[in-house]
Amino acid sequence: MSERVKKAAKPYLFLLPMVVFAVGFVYYPFLKTAAQSVSNVNFRGEITGFAGWENYRYLFSRREFSIALGNTLRLALINVPVTLVITVFLAFLCAPVRRGHTVYETMLTLPMAVSMASITLVFKVLLNPSVGYLNYVLGLNIGWYEDRHTAMAGILMLTVWMGIGFNFLLFLSAFRSIPPDILGSAELDGAGKFRTLFAIQLPLISPTVLYVLCTNMIQAMMTSGPILILTQGGPSRSTLTMIYLMYTAGYSSANYSLAACVSIVTFLLTLTCTLILFLMERKRVHYQ
Amino acid sequence: MKRIRDTGLTLLCILLGCLVLFPVFYGLMGAFKTPAEFIAYPPTVLPASFLHTDNFRAVFTQVPMLRYFLNSFIVAASSTVIRLVLAVFAAYAFVFFDFRGKKTLFFLLLGTMMLPADTVIITNYQTVSRLGLLDTYLGMGIVSFVGASQMFMLRQQFMMSPRPLREAALMDGCGDMRFIVSILTPLCMPALATLFLQSFIAQWNAYLWPLLVTNTNAMRTVQVGITMLTTIEGTNYEMVLAASAVAMVPAAVLFLALRRQITRSLSGGALVG
Repeated sequence: MSERVKKAAKPYLFLLPMVVFAVGFVYYPFLKTAAQSVSNVNFRGEITGFAGWENYRYLFSRREFSIALGNTLRLALINVPVTLVITVFLAFLCAPVRRGHTVYETMLTLPMAVSMASITLVFKVLLNPSVGYLNYVLGLNIGWYEDRHTAMAGILMLTVWMGIGFNFLLFLSAFRSIPPDILGSAELDGAGKFRTLFAIQLPLISPTVLYVLCTNMIQAMMTSGPILILTQGGPSRSTLTMIYLMYTAGYSSANYSLAACVSIVTFLLTLTCTLILFLMERKRVHYQ
Repeated sequence: MKRIRDTGLTLLCILLGCLVLFPVFYGLMGAFKTPAEFIAYPPTVLPASFLHTDNFRAVFTQVPMLRYFLNSFIVAASSTVIRLVLAVFAAYAFVFFDFRGKKTLFFLLLGTMMLPADTVIITNYQTVSRLGLLDTYLGMGIVSFVGASQMFMLRQQFMMSPRPLREAALMDGCGDMRFIVSILTPLCMPALATLFLQSFIAQWNAYLWPLLVTNTNAMRTVQVGITMLTTIEGTNYEMVLAASAVAMVPAAVLFLALRRQITRSLSGGALVG
């Protein structure tokens, strides 16, 4: 091989490994999922014929689909704003560097290192109706994960908790990257703390807000772990989510074409969210 | 006046921190309780004695917890290393070379972030199963070798390192590989350490994929293993809490030890996006 060819090939060689895995484990499975969603697929995952929209029509006609879709949207639409308000508030409080700030910063970021499985098991006990501490403290007598009216609320408490650490850290650094002289002049002009927050700080950190909204929305739509461990979609489907439905259809029942349909619908949902948020960005977000 | 207010705010922040960490604290404390303490009313947070370690002993004897740990460690460490190596190579190509299809390839790799991994999990399961990789470390790690966000951040990092530096190094007869290993990566160590930590914690805590691709007890990861405990007969609350405590400690310790690096590179803007 001549020097020239070698030199021209070099960047491609550096890129090759990552491209291979990106194609093999992201794009190929995505296209295959799309193909399976419009095909007849046997239990071994082989495509046996073209089905057109039949799988989708079947899926949309199923009661569990509309329930899963409703639950997933509800979960995302509550989880995201709640997490956002909590973490922005916490970061706003913690933004000025005070003595001992590392103590509470560490405490508030630690949830990002706690595993989903661990904290889910803790919540299982914490929210247990007979031995759990939450009912005792609040003076309630709620079955939480065993009652179809409260199971989703219990899942939400858990997912909001899981989102605190990383989002707090992002907002904290966003608040701190605002030049101090901007805040100083606002203070001189007599603007109060909360006035400054809404009129100056929030617009300035809006790129971070948008990023958090996007990633949290997608994450919330992917919620499946806590469901698998705590409720298996129950009681009476009250916590059935899209990914859990996909998991049971594909993995437990080997109904691959149905699982593929669910997965494509979920993907389109996340894509829509991302697009909406990015269109909002064009209008609202101020870059520094 | 200002000092009093600052102290008040500090206390408030610490209080909120305690509130947020309460579930973790409750879990850790509960792991030391006896069954009798657990069903006692009113329920308590603190155990009667920290010397009661039966629950931890049970966690390590009733299930192969050490094996789970080993599995988790191997999978998390190796897939994180491979992910970062691939990301370094790709970022290197994008920053230091001009070539045809550069933009297309960049967006091809970045575009993987638009496709959430969980939505293709069933088809990836079919692929891994067809490759005969079920129940293997490679099968557990292979889907996380692509880290588009890591690649993106490394690209930002590399762009900050002066391009003449590479030209000078190459002039002196330094090859690309040697440049990457002995000049570029040391320059970007803080960012790499953070990316490693973040990725390792994420892999250590992964649940759905390891659950799917392992089917023998000996190959389970810690996270999957501890949830299996709840299906074993005779498992009680305090044992479940001991298991979850055991599973959360390594990642938490790692996080606490390297927290400074994370926050620093975050506030440097390296991790936003």
